[in-house]
Amino acid sequence: MTRFDSPRLVQYGGLAAVGLLAGLVLGRVELVALAAPFALACVAGAAFARDPEITAQLELGRERALEGEDVPVTITLLSPVGAGRVDVYLPLQGELRAPGGNPRAVRLTPDEVYPLELTLHCERWGAFRLGPALVRARDRLAFHSWEAAVGAGQPLRVYPNAETLHTILAPLETQVFVGNQVSRARGDGIEFADLREWAPGDRVKSINWRASARRGVLWVNQQHPERNTDVVLFLDTFTDVKTSERGSLDATVRAATSLAHLYLQRKDRVGVVSFGGFLSWLLPASGTQQLYRIVDSLLQMEIVLSFATKGIDVLPPRTLPAKALVLAITPLLDARSAAALLDLRARGFDLVVIEVSPVPFVKPGGDELSQLAYRLWRLSRESLRLRYEQAGVPVVEWQDGEPLEVVLEEVTAYRRYARPVRV
Amino acid sequence: MTLALLSGLAYAGVVAYAASREPTLAPVIATLGAFGAVLLVFVLVRGHDDLLGWALALGGIAYTVALVVHGTHVDEAAPLIGGGLLLCGELATWSLDERWSIAGARGLLAARAGAVAVLALAGLAAAALVVSLAAVPAGNGLVWTLFGSAAAVLVVAVAALLSRR
Repeated sequence: MTRFDSPRLVQYGGLAAVGLLAGLVLGRVELVALAAPFALACVAGAAFARDPEITAQLELGRERALEGEDVPVTITLLSPVGAGRVDVYLPLQGELRAPGGNPRAVRLTPDEVYPLELTLHCERWGAFRLGPALVRARDRLAFHSWEAAVGAGQPLRVYPNAETLHTILAPLETQVFVGNQVSRARGDGIEFADLREWAPGDRVKSINWRASARRGVLWVNQQHPERNTDVVLFLDTFTDVKTSERGSLDATVRAATSLAHLYLQRKDRVGVVSFGGFLSWLLPASGTQQLYRIVDSLLQMEIVLSFATKGIDVLPPRTLPAKALVLAITPLLDARSAAALLDLRARGFDLVVIEVSPVPFVKPGGDELSQLAYRLWRLSRESLRLRYEQAGVPVVEWQDGEPLEVVLEEVTAYRRYARPVRV
Repeated sequence: MTLALLSGLAYAGVVAYAASREPTLAPVIATLGAFGAVLLVFVLVRGHDDLLGWALALGGIAYTVALVVHGTHVDEAAPLIGGGLLLCGELATWSLDERWSIAGARGLLAARAGAVAVLALAGLAAAALVVSLAAVPAGNGLVWTLFGSAAAVLVVAVAALLSRR
């Protein structure tokens, strides 16, 4: 532990020395009496100087939590010689809060194991590392203090609350593997698709006897097979527009978590592409493990400022499988991501743009020029949206606080009336 | 805040006693005391504990002026002045330590209060011992002068040692 001495030790020593010398020079015992308490304080200070040699262990109640949950933390302190007062501070990032108080002051008696209990409230998602804790021990009169960082750091992952979605956004095309999505193609399945005339090779059980009796020749039933889907969550991480509490990246992560959860529950394969200053991706896969992988990658997502020109060419081909449904979650603020999305559409991907609207986060200025700039900005956004719609891409504006379910319904309605075409 | 007020009270008590002891020089003593009080307030408000020693020194100087001007008669209240200045310093430091609200610190207040009280009382006792020893007719010899010089050197050495550690 690093020792620090209070400056008043030197000051008291100096006062005592001056008092004694002045008493000697002036021949006044009162000045010696004046100096005596300070000299005594110096001696007492030197006598109390014992390094408390504090050791500590940091333990988290759990390593994973959801937003809004509380996580208990125990800092076990031990000192062989004790300490009059120990201030314990656990440095916390802004997303975590200790309602019971942080730092905390305790008193340690020799060889006593003191478990200091803290409760952390997880206010926002994120991947954190807690610890080491900072301790400062002082003797009873605070003449000396000892400071140290104790306890090994512990990881804590706070997952965003996933919204429960009931609406599924069906892809235009399905993959070849079995899943829960009724394919538009015809084959073996449950959902009735059509009737056709019998052909050699057709199974007897597929013959529709009623239709055959009516027409006099054999007719067979055709079904839609159940297939799975490849879904790619394309996240625009070039820019983040935010207020003190919420921001577009925050909304993006929440939406991506909810969507990944929904599609993975349906045995679909889900991949993630974080397209921004720092490029990262997860290849599409299915299962619970993939859900954790996705959420873990989302927790570490951050905005990295970059001026490098980037297109989707920089992405490995396997991250964007053919016939994949690409769900782009973007504030539509960066020209690079806007161009990349149009490029994706031009390559024939089934693209849906969920626009995390930055408009609520931007307030127009008071003067006329600022208001004109604001209106122009809104118009340019409208124009960009129109370009997507002309390319057959549904663009749905999603505002903070609005249920994601509404957005998905809107896309479904758009697709019902405006069928996408291959470009 | 309470501790800061108590510290200020202790300081004001010292200066008031010094001023009342020598009314002819009261303005000078009060001015010295006022400078010290301003320094003390600065220490308490801005948290510059490096200046605390100077504030206490000004209080001590104010008392010394009154003492020297007043005459050769031994002031039996000197231990109270010494104890008062020490108490003022301790309370001011404690006040600075409690500037930031720390959960659980209230439970430790009694221990610190006890320690400060014991130190102040011990200081008072030491000062009283010095004054009472001075009253003993031991004569003005070289031995006493040497003893006093050695004590002064010892204190300076301790101060130097502490500042180097």
